[in-house]
Amino acid sequence: MLKYIVKRIAIFIPTLFVISLVTFYLSVNVPGDPVEQMLNSNSEMGSSANAQASEKAYIDKREQLGLNLPIFYFSLTNRAVPQNLHEIPKKFHRQNLERLIDKYGNWTEIQTYYNSLKEFEFKVAKVQKDSTNADALINIKEKLQKLYINYDDNAIKSSFASITTNLNVSASLSEVKTYFQTVEGNYEKGVKGKATVYKKYIPAVHWYGTQNQYHQWITKFMVGDFGISYQDQRPVKKVIWEAVRWTVMLSIVSIILTYLIAIPLGIKAAAKKDSTSDKVMSTTLFMLYSLPVFWVATLLIMFLGGGDFLSWFPAYGVGEISDSDSFLTVFWTRFYHLILPMVCFTYGGLAFLYRQMRGAMINTLSQDYIRTARAKGLDEKNVLWKHAFKNSLLPIITLFANVFPLVISGAIIIENKFSIPGMGKTAIEAISARNYPMIYTIVMFSAILTMVGYLVADILYAVVDPRISYNKK
Amino acid sequence: MAEEIKQDYWSYVKRQFSSNKRALYSMYVIIFMAMIALFADFIANEKPIYCEYKGNTYFPIFRDYGVSLGLAKWPKDLLNINWIDAKFDKCLRAPIPYSTTNQDFFNSGFVSPFGKQNVASTRWRHWFGTDDIGRDITAGLIHGTRIAFIVGIISMSIASFIGILLGAIAGFFGDNKIQISRASVIMGIIFFFLGWFYAFMTRSYTLSDAIGESIIKFLGELLLSLLIFIGALFAGYLLGFVLKVIPFFKTKVNIPVNIIVQRMIEILVSIPRLFLIIAVIAISKPGIVLIMVIIGLTSWTEIARFIRAELLKVRSLEYIEASEALGYSRWRILFKHAIPNAIAPVLITVAFGIAAAILIESSLSFLGIGVPAEVVTWGKILAKAQGSKSQMWVAIFPGIAIFLTVTLFNLIGEGLTDALDPRQKK
Repeated sequence: MLKYIVKRIAIFIPTLFVISLVTFYLSVNVPGDPVEQMLNSNSEMGSSANAQASEKAYIDKREQLGLNLPIFYFSLTNRAVPQNLHEIPKKFHRQNLERLIDKYGNWTEIQTYYNSLKEFEFKVAKVQKDSTNADALINIKEKLQKLYINYDDNAIKSSFASITTNLNVSASLSEVKTYFQTVEGNYEKGVKGKATVYKKYIPAVHWYGTQNQYHQWITKFMVGDFGISYQDQRPVKKVIWEAVRWTVMLSIVSIILTYLIAIPLGIKAAAKKDSTSDKVMSTTLFMLYSLPVFWVATLLIMFLGGGDFLSWFPAYGVGEISDSDSFLTVFWTRFYHLILPMVCFTYGGLAFLYRQMRGAMINTLSQDYIRTARAKGLDEKNVLWKHAFKNSLLPIITLFANVFPLVISGAIIIENKFSIPGMGKTAIEAISARNYPMIYTIVMFSAILTMVGYLVADILYAVVDPRISYNKK
Repeated sequence: MAEEIKQDYWSYVKRQFSSNKRALYSMYVIIFMAMIALFADFIANEKPIYCEYKGNTYFPIFRDYGVSLGLAKWPKDLLNINWIDAKFDKCLRAPIPYSTTNQDFFNSGFVSPFGKQNVASTRWRHWFGTDDIGRDITAGLIHGTRIAFIVGIISMSIASFIGILLGAIAGFFGDNKIQISRASVIMGIIFFFLGWFYAFMTRSYTLSDAIGESIIKFLGELLLSLLIFIGALFAGYLLGFVLKVIPFFKTKVNIPVNIIVQRMIEILVSIPRLFLIIAVIAISKPGIVLIMVIIGLTSWTEIARFIRAELLKVRSLEYIEASEALGYSRWRILFKHAIPNAIAPVLITVAFGIAAAILIESSLSFLGIGVPAEVVTWGKILAKAQGSKSQMWVAIFPGIAIFLTVTLFNLIGEGLTDALDPRQKK
């Protein structure tokens, strides 16, 4: 048995590895610049006026987040793309440079152009502002920012033209003019003049070793360091832990409830197959199965929770408790608040399990040994619970693996509708805030939880049915 | 006795299905709803079907199709017209004279369908009420039907394609029936990457720029990329022949397709689907097409399992052996003989799958993720209801629509299960 469990866990590792790759791939491709996002949420750093200082802040933050490293162990690109492109700090600049590389293919020239552009920017930032050049400076800076994100030839040229006119406005700008001429020269003669587009068509593989973002992320993940939440700068671990408790608690209680209700109902229905009560039961539960959970939640809140119809239950949250409250008060407050969400968590799985239980039981009851049991004079209760029940339980146990993901997915909607601070609610909040470390940790966790569900189902299966031996093969 | 009863498999299934009245009537209702979805533009539209304006005759709804295909242009008179307030000389309006986007400012703030409405005549009544900003719920429901059906059908088509292909290969070939020479494996891997490189990586900006321009241009570029990719694979295949001259490369290696497919399924079912979809949607622009594709790409596992199990049975049947003995190639046997005989149970999963896809789409709409702002869906209308009883209509009607559609598809699925189950044979 132990051997089997170890083997089963060993199979999980590659699965988890692939899931981590998928998750990481998604997290790398997020829109927007995570560093900017972090800096913006830290207002003191974002407001730094000096261009050089803010660039320094940017680079530091980037290094702290580990984003200065290459993305993966290796990269498959073309000859035109340099091996160390990831060293360009700003994400939008990097994306634009990639575009330029794709268009012209000569990295050294593009790099010279980029550096001269940056130098020009610093020089412009140093120019003393006065009444004669204020407007021109603003215009120049605006066009400069455009140059960083433009790769289209016409767009770049129109920016150039605009900067040239603005540079001629005031004599105080003549100093930076030469720098701008270098920029222009680098673009026209270097980038465009010495284009090597053919390099784009030669594949190239770069090897980076373990100093890469994925390696850092996954090794940290394994020791429980999930990064920092963009929203409130707290460690993701802490936020997740607070959320996971609710989701796991609710799903386990609801699964237990589901089994406790569905099994007797299913057996009763199977024993009285095709009777009126069976038909009513089956139809009702079949309809329950198709009821969208968000609709049920909305209606429950509308009619039973705090609305203007029947105000029987609190509609939102998990209730306020203070440290001085006794255990019973705490329990009652929580219980009272979680009744409606619990109903939503339970009914879908209930309908599913009931159908399966009924089917399995009907199947078992048609077996020969049941007829034998009846023939030898056993009463119906004994036949049902002692002989048939045990044998039809088997398929039901394995369904644990199906019910568990169902419940976890349901958590997203239910927790949001009822404002329960669980994983589902945290996930949606993280998405609207573009809090990516949070989102991807949650995805990883939901996958791990589901896999644990499968493992438990497999082990239960082995425990219940002694015929199944996992040591073979 | 007028007609001879057909004895072939599909006629039998049809008869079995028709004898299940519940499933049969569900089917009729679904066909009716599909018609609503198809003709939604003619049922609920602010534009008249036919109108005469300033001496000219127009068919605005048809012209709208032409304009969106780029074949026609709006005449000056109609370009910025307010379709609802405009005074036409003659006009025939759609039964529901509102589009999903029309905001009726006189009836905003959840107007009840039963109370007094501030409308010109019964013709303009909001039969199912309005939402917070005065949009007609009826129009939303009718156009929501279209979204729900499109999502259900397209996503399950994608899922069926992947599921049938992978499941069939896994079931038919198992773990030790596909043997490929080392040359083919090596060339396959090398040229796969080369093809990927030239088809998608060097062309990645061409492709992504084309998405922004128009869908037709994108499909054209995509086709070109696919051709390059397939061309590369073919080149690899040919080179493999040359390489086989060397004995080392001629040795066959076993490809355990079954294990590979099983692993893929295991990985996919390990990530709760809603979480996965949310993670993907988080990085991309909202769009119905994206939702359909993701649902399709994540829901093929059940179909693959079904068809795999079916083909495990089929592959040892005599007629397969017979066709092998006749010397047909294995791929031909798989696609021409094995799959057609195993495909019926897939219909069951597809029916249940459409129900599930519609549920997922409406859940996403309800949560407000992934569906663009201007698209009105059932879930979105439902999400407007905030818990007050006065907004009851906004919750009840779309809820019924979702519930009904999902139930009907589930009933059809159940009917198919019974019809295809040989144990139920009468």
